[in-house]
Amino acid sequence: MSLLAWTLVIISQLALVAGQIFLKRAMSRREHGGEKARGWIGTLVIGIATMTIWFLLWLGVMHQIELSKLMPLEGISPLLIVLGAAVFLHERLNWRGWAGVVLTCFGVLLVSAS
Amino acid sequence: MHDQMAAVLPKPAPGLFWNPYLQIFLTVLLTAAAQILLKVGADTSAANNSIWSWLGVAELGSGWTWLGIFAFIASFGGWLYALRFLPLGLAFALTNGVHIFVPLGSWLFLGEHISLLRGSGILVIIAGILLLAQSVAKVEEKV
Repeated sequence: MSLLAWTLVIISQLALVAGQIFLKRAMSRREHGGEKARGWIGTLVIGIATMTIWFLLWLGVMHQIELSKLMPLEGISPLLIVLGAAVFLHERLNWRGWAGVVLTCFGVLLVSAS
Repeated sequence: MHDQMAAVLPKPAPGLFWNPYLQIFLTVLLTAAAQILLKVGADTSAANNSIWSWLGVAELGSGWTWLGIFAFIASFGGWLYALRFLPLGLAFALTNGVHIFVPLGSWLFLGEHISLLRGSGILVIIAGILLLAQSVAKVEEKV
């Protein structure tokens, strides 16, 4: 498969991680209330815009690449999101959480390897 | 910018429907349905190498694609709701359940085969989700 297709896949994955972090920040701000709640809709709109970029790219590469070949890349996205959430949202997981994330990702790799 | 507000998670309204984990489960089911509908939409629309095809615009001619988009939008509502109450990393890891339902749905509706490897992958995902559920239970004990 062409380099262009895989570049688009990587950009779509980055858009997915960034978009989810924006969405989470928007919803946390909304829930927080008071001063911090202000501007949550703006953050939500940025999140939805980023997710739209992800969605269109995903739709496009799905036409070019078999779903079974795309799924391994989908499989590592939870790991990327857990890392992104740790850096940008200061989220912490306990060891069961980490083990669960790694195990589900491994399972997705197995599903897509077949 | 980066404060600790994510660490303070509010309590959802009472009632099963408002349980954020049920909403994640509904999100997973709707996302799996959306993926399958989009695949059908992509298969039924004409394949060509124009720039529109790269951007996924050619698929918009198929009604299946639109059904898939509606399923995605519906799943998005449940997802935003769940994000109000759950940490992003944990919630997103739970959405890996999609990879259980996509092969099952592809087998049921698209006639795709589930191999031994794929079946064992599904079992590993279920084990991972059970661990995540345990991790949640431990966290909520402390609150």
